Amino acid sequence: MADEPATDPGADPAADRRRLIGLVVGAVVTALIVVLLVVGLLNRGASTAIDDALDAGSRPPAPDLQLPVLVSGAGLPPAGQEAALADLRGKVVVLNLWASWCEPCREEAPVLESVWQRYRAKDVVVLGIDIQDLSDDARTFIREYGLTYPSLRDGSDGSKAALEATGVPETFVIDREGRIALHIAGPVSRTEQLTGPLDEVLTET
Amino acid sequence: MRRPLLAMVAVLLAALALAGPAASLTVVEVAREVRCPTCNTPLDVSDSPAAQRMKVFIAERIAEGDDKQQIIDALVDEFGRGVLATPPKEGFDLVAWIVPIVLVLAGLAAIPLVTRAWARRGRDAPAPEIAPEDAARLDEELRRRGD
Repeated sequence: MADEPATDPGADPAADRRRLIGLVVGAVVTALIVVLLVVGLLNRGASTAIDDALDAGSRPPAPDLQLPVLVSGAGLPPAGQEAALADLRGKVVVLNLWASWCEPCREEAPVLESVWQRYRAKDVVVLGIDIQDLSDDARTFIREYGLTYPSLRDGSDGSKAALEATGVPETFVIDREGRIALHIAGPVSRTEQLTGPLDEVLTET
Repeated sequence: MRRPLLAMVAVLLAALALAGPAASLTVVEVAREVRCPTCNTPLDVSDSPAAQRMKVFIAERIAEGDDKQQIIDALVDEFGRGVLATPPKEGFDLVAWIVPIVLVLAGLAAIPLVTRAWARRGRDAPAPEIAPEDAARLDEELRRRGD
């Protein structure tokens, strides 16, 4: 026992240092992968913050969308130029996500047109956002249904994600202060679905 | 013997040159390069209403004589760069291509280093302690063999 060395003969400070560096690098790489997985998982599920706020009785702010104009009108810039949702602040906006390939959008297009005709003089703007669509198809759809309200265009799904929409059609009523007052997931099949909420929002100053 | 073979190869090459890449382009060839924006799957295996419209768009552009890249560019104009099935090999998107290659190369480079470290650890390790009875048995065996 007495002849046993005080320190482990296999111990080598350089090897220990290498082992420590290896451990630290391994831990950092593992932590990065875990963070990526967690971020990926968290972003997978659609957020429901807008609906949650509406259910709680508050009005969440509408996202600051800026998109090219597909068909102009209601004081928006000409087709092809960019327009921002914020430019319509002070007006009540009926924002409708649609696409030409979407069957329920065909059902609701005449309803939205009739709401637009009825409310356009009351500082209400019906504004379409054509998403995930071919622009020629979208213009054909607008001509086919004789739609006179303006539409913006978003080939990607950026505005759909910003509005936390799960598909098309979806409709939002945005008040004069740029806050979402109503969300209708699915087609607007009757004008009353919009006229009641619009009348209520219009009474606010 | 050789002349007919050469003639045949020449005819084949001429036929290929005449056919050209655009003439043989199919909807599927373009569709597998992009994804369906509503279902997030490659367009060639998507059958959603949006995907069907995109396939009609591709077929029309092929009929008009556009090549594959022109059609893909037109789809990017319509739907943004997110419509591409694979990230473009330029700018920041290059990271998606480079990182896996770098990781594989780093892994390959690490193999000899790790195996050398393992081998050294095995060599440097002290001989295992042997129990007195085993040592006695070993001595006995060696002595018997030596006789």
